[in-house]
Amino acid sequence: MEAVKRALDRISVEQIKLELLGTAYNSSSTFLGRLDPRTLLLWYLFFAIVPWFVHNRTVLLGMFVLMVLTTVLSRVSPYIIFILCLGLISQIGWMFILSLFFGGGIESLLPMLTLTLKLSVISLASITVFSSLDPERLSDGLLSLGIPDTFAFSLSYGYRILPTLLEEFHQILLSFRLRGQRPLQHGLLYWRTATYYLRIVILAFYPLMLNTAKRSRTTIEALETRGFSYGLNNKKVKKIKLSYLKMKRSDWYFLSGSTVYVILLFWIGYLYPKLVY
Amino acid sequence: MRNSILELNGVTFTYPGAEQPVLQEVSLRLEEGDFIAIIGSNGSGKSTLCKCFTGLIPHYYTGDFTGEVTICGQPADGKSVAELSKHIGYVYQDFENQLVRPTVLDDVSFTPLNYGFADYKERGERALALTGLSDLRNEFIWQLSGGQKHLLALAGALAMDPEILVIDEPVAQLDPQHARHIYDILRRLNEEHGKTIVVIEHHAEFIADYCKHVVLMDKGRMRWQKPVREALSSVKELLELGIYPPDVTRAAWLLQSDARLTQFLPLSAEEGNAHMILRQHAIQRNDPSDYMKEQSLTVIREEKSVVQMENVHLSYRTIHKTKHPVLNGVQLDLRQGESIALIGNNGAGKSSLMKLIAGIVRPTAGTVNVKGMTVNGLPPERLSSTVAYVFQNPEEMFIEDSVRKEIAYYLKARKLPDTEERVAEMLKAFRLNELAERDARLLSGGQQRRVSLAIGAAVRPAVMLLDEPTANLDISTKQEMVHVLDTLRSHVETVVIATHDMQLVSEWATRIIVMHQGRIIADGTKDEIFADGLLLRRAGLAQTQLMELSRMLGLPKICSSLEEFVSLVEVKKEVTAIHGSR
Repeated sequence: MEAVKRALDRISVEQIKLELLGTAYNSSSTFLGRLDPRTLLLWYLFFAIVPWFVHNRTVLLGMFVLMVLTTVLSRVSPYIIFILCLGLISQIGWMFILSLFFGGGIESLLPMLTLTLKLSVISLASITVFSSLDPERLSDGLLSLGIPDTFAFSLSYGYRILPTLLEEFHQILLSFRLRGQRPLQHGLLYWRTATYYLRIVILAFYPLMLNTAKRSRTTIEALETRGFSYGLNNKKVKKIKLSYLKMKRSDWYFLSGSTVYVILLFWIGYLYPKLVY
Repeated sequence: MRNSILELNGVTFTYPGAEQPVLQEVSLRLEEGDFIAIIGSNGSGKSTLCKCFTGLIPHYYTGDFTGEVTICGQPADGKSVAELSKHIGYVYQDFENQLVRPTVLDDVSFTPLNYGFADYKERGERALALTGLSDLRNEFIWQLSGGQKHLLALAGALAMDPEILVIDEPVAQLDPQHARHIYDILRRLNEEHGKTIVVIEHHAEFIADYCKHVVLMDKGRMRWQKPVREALSSVKELLELGIYPPDVTRAAWLLQSDARLTQFLPLSAEEGNAHMILRQHAIQRNDPSDYMKEQSLTVIREEKSVVQMENVHLSYRTIHKTKHPVLNGVQLDLRQGESIALIGNNGAGKSSLMKLIAGIVRPTAGTVNVKGMTVNGLPPERLSSTVAYVFQNPEEMFIEDSVRKEIAYYLKARKLPDTEERVAEMLKAFRLNELAERDARLLSGGQQRRVSLAIGAAVRPAVMLLDEPTANLDISTKQEMVHVLDTLRSHVETVVIATHDMQLVSEWATRIIVMHQGRIIADGTKDEIFADGLLLRRAGLAQTQLMELSRMLGLPKICSSLEEFVSLVEVKKEVTAIHGSR
């Protein structure tokens, strides 16, 4: 219990903020981060959809190896990998326990492994792409692929406002704590304390929403005075804005490399469908 | 006569749903290259007037609008906000909400990009250069300080190279040196780049130093538009509206004989120096040795210690995973009954120091003791009956839907038997009875502050910490705050205020702690601290006009109140004539 408490102590709102923003914006230093957003989005489109329809374990395993490689290349924050592993393990864990109830044994693990493999490929692909694309380039990439202006803008604005919101949430939470009363006894398994915190976390959302609503008035006016609606759906503006996007040689290498790898994979998978198990 | 750049002709505007018009028959004419201050008490229509300039009224707020607006020689009628905005840059009072992009360069070039300029980045860069932000071009918005954010909002407004700049309260949240910096930039834009600048400003000393004309608004009407000296010399009229002219001007007005009522008055300390002289018999009346005695008396009364800090260090983690030190070895002892002002420039560590006392953050090294409890790592709930912390932004303290419930929250959480009485007592003490059932978020700035103080006082804490209690308030509301703070004295043992407001410090504090780069560089009484001009400058603070003038005139002490000052000086016999224009 003490260990959990210490771990919880270390997780502060400030910490989460830094981690989140670090993941979101610190990406242009990696190889994948320098690729064109359109390349990454196309690449992602393939690896997020195709694994669902593949049952060949050799192919899946090959894809998994590639994903691990790209994940390493994109230098993802260990926190996020940790959360992913936690999710996968707990998922497989409770399904295994469930299968034991219905008379399954160790052998029931294998088909579950296939599903887990699919899920890991897709999750790792998402992590790779979204940690290599900062919200700005993601928004511009989507824009160039024909997503409406307003959606692309809200995406990037959402990230811009996130730290402000987190900070304010933190402050409001503090207000609750500074004026509130924590249960005097923790209760069995800390349930009293846990309920107390859960309760104020939920309550803190209401003042946050009201304050945000108040603030957004200025933002909307400012968008107007800064010509936002003038530039909206204006082809010329869009062209100027996206003019920095360019498919470089590394983009083509990356795309063609991945294609060749996938073709080889399907070929090997066709020849040896049961390479592993 | 110079070209007019903006003209309003008989403008009347009523917000939808409102019964009274906010603007009534306003006619005014701004000349090219002017530097204009718009003054008036809260709710006199200043911001609404400025929104007419940009076309937000009537295009965005579709109320009842009559009259004509002409911008750069063309009627504004029928033009969209976007078209008008090419000529006018607008910086809001809550400028943070005006920054919509993640990085500095992105934000500053946002406007030119929207208008489809291929050279939008160069335009952005140019605006950054004008405001001195070029080195920060790749920083993220949330890493900037308040002052830098304000400059960025200004740069964003400049990127389109507009003829007119409108700035709503440029210096409300800045320390005096940063405030000067902003005004120096505005002056350069005005003089070297020929921009017409309109500010809404409460600080008469800035108006006196930088502006050329003044427009006075009162209850939605324009009273007059006058050159700055003539405007600020109308002391009586301004005071009646709750607007405070510079201290020197007020002193000169108090000193003058009634016969010369129409005379122009001095506006700055230098002019005051030429205008006034030390009273002949003042020295006998206020013997310096007497004054020393008085001072030593206050030192003798040693009270019980309430807060002790032992060699406290604090550092934060940054996004680059480096440690950023905020406090470096702070040693501090706060005693019962003290009114402590914590001063220093933005980022000196004032807020961090207060957060340590309230147990909100934990020191990286050293110990903090409050009333015999070691605070390090105690949950804030445990401390809340001993320390009350009032945030800089009152809105972040509002967690209920009425003023009464806000005040009662702490008491109810502890199921105190005298909840009802205490709430009633607080409502009365802070004059909130009429507002008790309203939602605190919808009150005016001054009222919100009063609520936030009442919330803190209801706890009856030993220590009360206030972060910038007078920021964003107009001067008359601020004056009122000083009284409210006196109310606080009867509920709380020790009050600590972090502030830039030297006026407040000089009127209220009994002890001053000066912080600079995470250290305490001075700690003493008002007279000790204020006498040291160098120290104040190093801490990024400015002297008030009265302090400066007291020194220039060689008064036996540095005066902090107008009454004291006026009792020590008189008007020179042969006054050098002051001219209307500056």
